[in-house]
Amino acid sequence: MKKNSILKLLGLLMLSPLSLFCQEQTIQKNPSAFSNPLFLVLLSVIILLLIVIIAFSTALKNIAESDLLIKNNKTNNAQISKTLLFLIGTFFVSSLNAAVTSKGNSGIGGLDSMTFYTMIFVIIIELILLTTLLFQFNYLLKQKKSTPEKVVKLSETKIVMTLTDAVPVEEEERILLEHDYDGIRELDNNLPPWWKYGFYLTIVFAFVYMIYYHVAEIGELQDKEFETEMKIAKQKVEEHMKKSANNVDENTVKLITDANEIEAGKGVYIANCAVCHGKVGEGTVGPNLTDSYWLHGGSLTEVFKSIKYGWVEKGMKSWKEDLSPIQIAQVSSFIKSLSGTNPPNGKAPQGDLYSEGGASTSSKDSLLKQPNDTIKIKLPNESTK
Amino acid sequence: MELQKFQYDNKTVKLFAYATMFWSIVGMLAGLLAAIQLYLPEANFNIPFTTFGRVRPVHTNAIIFAFVGNGIFMGVYYSLQRLLKARMFSDFLSKIHFWGWQLIIVLAAITLVLGYTTGKEYAELEWPIDILITIVWVVFGWNMFGTIIRRRERHLYVAIWFYIGTFITVAMLHIVNSIEIPVTFWKSYSWYAGVQDALVQWWYGHNAVAFFLTTPYLGLMYYFLPKMAQRPVYSYRLSIIHFWALIFLYIWAGPHHLLYTSTPDWAQSLGVVFSVMLIAPSWGGMINGLLTLRGAWDRVRDNVALKFMVVAITAYGMATFEGPLLSLKAVNKISHFTDWTIAHVHVGALGWNGFLTFGVLYWLIPRLFQTKLYSEKMANQHFWIATLGIVLYAVPIYWAGFMQSSMWKDFTEEGQLKYQFMDTVTYLKPFYIARSIGGLLYLTGAIMMIVNLIKTIKIGNFHEVETDSAPALAKEYKAHATDHWHRWIERKPIQMLIVSLIVVAIGGIIEFVPAFLVKSNIPTIQSVKPYTPLELHGRDIYVREGCYTCHTQMVRPFRDEVARYGEYSKAGEFVYDHPFQWGSKRTGPDLARVGGKYPDSWHFNHMYEPSSMAPGSIMPRYPWLIEDQLNATNTIAKIKAMKRLGVPYPDGYENNALKDMEKQANKIAASLKKDGIETLPDREIVALIAYLQRIGKDIKANNSKSQANK
Repeated sequence: MKKNSILKLLGLLMLSPLSLFCQEQTIQKNPSAFSNPLFLVLLSVIILLLIVIIAFSTALKNIAESDLLIKNNKTNNAQISKTLLFLIGTFFVSSLNAAVTSKGNSGIGGLDSMTFYTMIFVIIIELILLTTLLFQFNYLLKQKKSTPEKVVKLSETKIVMTLTDAVPVEEEERILLEHDYDGIRELDNNLPPWWKYGFYLTIVFAFVYMIYYHVAEIGELQDKEFETEMKIAKQKVEEHMKKSANNVDENTVKLITDANEIEAGKGVYIANCAVCHGKVGEGTVGPNLTDSYWLHGGSLTEVFKSIKYGWVEKGMKSWKEDLSPIQIAQVSSFIKSLSGTNPPNGKAPQGDLYSEGGASTSSKDSLLKQPNDTIKIKLPNESTK
Repeated sequence: MELQKFQYDNKTVKLFAYATMFWSIVGMLAGLLAAIQLYLPEANFNIPFTTFGRVRPVHTNAIIFAFVGNGIFMGVYYSLQRLLKARMFSDFLSKIHFWGWQLIIVLAAITLVLGYTTGKEYAELEWPIDILITIVWVVFGWNMFGTIIRRRERHLYVAIWFYIGTFITVAMLHIVNSIEIPVTFWKSYSWYAGVQDALVQWWYGHNAVAFFLTTPYLGLMYYFLPKMAQRPVYSYRLSIIHFWALIFLYIWAGPHHLLYTSTPDWAQSLGVVFSVMLIAPSWGGMINGLLTLRGAWDRVRDNVALKFMVVAITAYGMATFEGPLLSLKAVNKISHFTDWTIAHVHVGALGWNGFLTFGVLYWLIPRLFQTKLYSEKMANQHFWIATLGIVLYAVPIYWAGFMQSSMWKDFTEEGQLKYQFMDTVTYLKPFYIARSIGGLLYLTGAIMMIVNLIKTIKIGNFHEVETDSAPALAKEYKAHATDHWHRWIERKPIQMLIVSLIVVAIGGIIEFVPAFLVKSNIPTIQSVKPYTPLELHGRDIYVREGCYTCHTQMVRPFRDEVARYGEYSKAGEFVYDHPFQWGSKRTGPDLARVGGKYPDSWHFNHMYEPSSMAPGSIMPRYPWLIEDQLNATNTIAKIKAMKRLGVPYPDGYENNALKDMEKQANKIAASLKKDGIETLPDREIVALIAYLQRIGKDIKANNSKSQANK
């Protein structure tokens, strides 16, 4: 009976990653739940809890079986655990199915709500099971405590014995070494086979890894890997841009007048530009955007270009990695709409006069004209100097 | 054979135990303060001494060298005498060792708070303290080997192998990594620069974990666990293999802290494979510990010290399994520079080191004072609170690290970064709060322990004169034919020391020699020039304020980092960086390309009030940089030191340095004035701005202009 249940459990465990694998093959093409971090996290939590439950119930069974006093309870517990485990297994597999068949673009955290709730449900069931097991565990321990006279020998299961290749506790005199260090003795058990072969395996891995990357040079090292990453990303973006209307550049950009889009541009402005150019474009560490003087040209195209490529040596960064072309168009149009608003505390004009339609005219060194101290910081010890 | 009588030195053990208890609280308090500052920057009280960049090194140094360090010595002084059946070699040396170590800790705390730091993680202490550490460490080794020579037990038990391995390796690590050129009494520059400095530093940093936090504690485990459980150690054979494999493999794994950086690919790959090979030797220790408890699990239930030991060993197993996983490049890509790493080390520090120390203290103090623990119940409560504390600490920041990395890497379909750096900072705040609560719980537990132990000490009587007896060693020894071959070296402490040194030296030599001698590892970049004197001063301020504790200077070759920060970092850019400042944690954005990114005035405002330029920022304010005058008196000494390190300043440049400095400072002051900020050119802020505006610009100069004018 015991073996039976263990086999079933193992079967379940083996099956679940297998089904994962099969599904993954078929769904590789379209984006699936497997690329969703939330899904992966929930999945790992489920698997982890499952492992803990199995470990716990095995331990519980061992204790229960080693103790004659409470044999009556045992069958009950085992029955309950088994049923619950099967329930979990079923939910687990079904949730996986639900997850992999979903399109993964709506619902909670990118997961469709069905998958999400199923997985949460599974986790809750697992937690409940774990709590029950804990209670049983405590109960058993208490039972044992009440009979201290009885020396309890924990016999290990076959699995543990095969895994460790250990001499049973009862026979350990046989491998006890004669040395005695301050009362500490040493056994001379065999190395656990799984540990030994695991160690060999990592050594083999090390050689294969070094050969793969540095002798045969099949694997991509970081510079190459970077090139590949960039190439794939570029392709993806280009493909997307072909399909979408969201594609403007400095040659095609047109002034936007639609109020909603200007509003969107304002949002982008407040989030990204306001710290340097002021909340209403009055200028702080960056220049005033409301006057008619421009350091790098005041036409829509020029503003667009300044935002897109930046003026790095003057502290204006390039925003093309942060803002999409359409966002740059929106924020450029918003900035153009600020023209002539004359906000309070406006920073003195800098650069050349620009008039709409006409060519830019005479240069003007505004700094000589009117020094400005919008953000002068008061130093605590300024007066003393 | 005639029995010889002798007395154990319990007094030194007691002193080290007291020091362990005291410094545990100091270290944890500093940690808690740092944790709170991550969501409440005002918790620096607006003074330099308690700002994150200085508190964090205080925390790490206090935990590693004060708390765990004293814990090691407590355990070693207790177990060594009993395992060798001999009193400690010299009471005088014991005294020097104890008080010398405490002096080092106090000096460390004071200098770190004052901002005297080398800027190399876990090796921040300046050169006079480095020398003091070397002396005290030698005293420790001398005392230990003196005791070993006078032993009454022919063979050395496995715990002592670990002590010997620890002693010799820490000595090697400390000396090699601390080679530096003094400028003044409290200022020095690392002998190494850039990539080489990084390789040496992480060879040290990784093995400080290995040989200060791991091997000595494995030694303690091998003594205290079988004592507590009254069970024989599970497998002698396993002890042999895992000891030698562990110390040999550990030393190679350092470069896994530098994956995807500008270090050579071959070094990174060595870091990866040796980390993977470390799983089994590390787990060997865990297996030997846990399986020693075979047939004694009922004792674990009743013995609170054993409970702590079991969780400690389990945490050790988890951390040493996770470590190799984090060393795989695919995982490291996600985890590195995030809180994931912090969670990982805290499973080790709180779980393995903390719990093992607590376990030993709960067992040892009642024995030293010949009484029973004051309250078993309270100790059990400590156990549960501390366990909960670890979970509450680790889980939120595991999640935080994973999510932050995912957010950094997220792109929109149009190909733009989906999140600004600040978005990720805002996202993390709740997790930081949860983590500090976990830390608070853990600290509460530790305080409960100390109360419990003090009460125990009060009711007990100190066992000052503990007598034991054993026959003296015979002059001649004939090995049994049936003996394991390894018994030979267990009889020969000096050979053990030498073989250990050879075993641990191999990895370092093979990794360093090519990195220092083969030119192709660090291709020269012509446009990279030495720092100007003002920039050098600024860099020293950067180091002093511990900016590297939150900011990296390493753009890795990933799409998102290149998009966010600019061209990825090249090895040749760092050849004049003594010390390197790549950092290990990106709480704030990377600064490797910050030069020229913002106007001077942006930096001025940002240092005065970070949230004015970056709303939502959790960076503390640095108003003192704006007020304080730059100490330019050592400018010439600094340039001279740099020249001795091989930085190619022109001949006699030190005489022009001050003039150059003034010119550059005036220029920055003028540029600030343009934006309406009045400041004197001799303030520290001006030097810092000069440095910040220089970082990463040397190779940017060639290609940025063409791009901007597209």
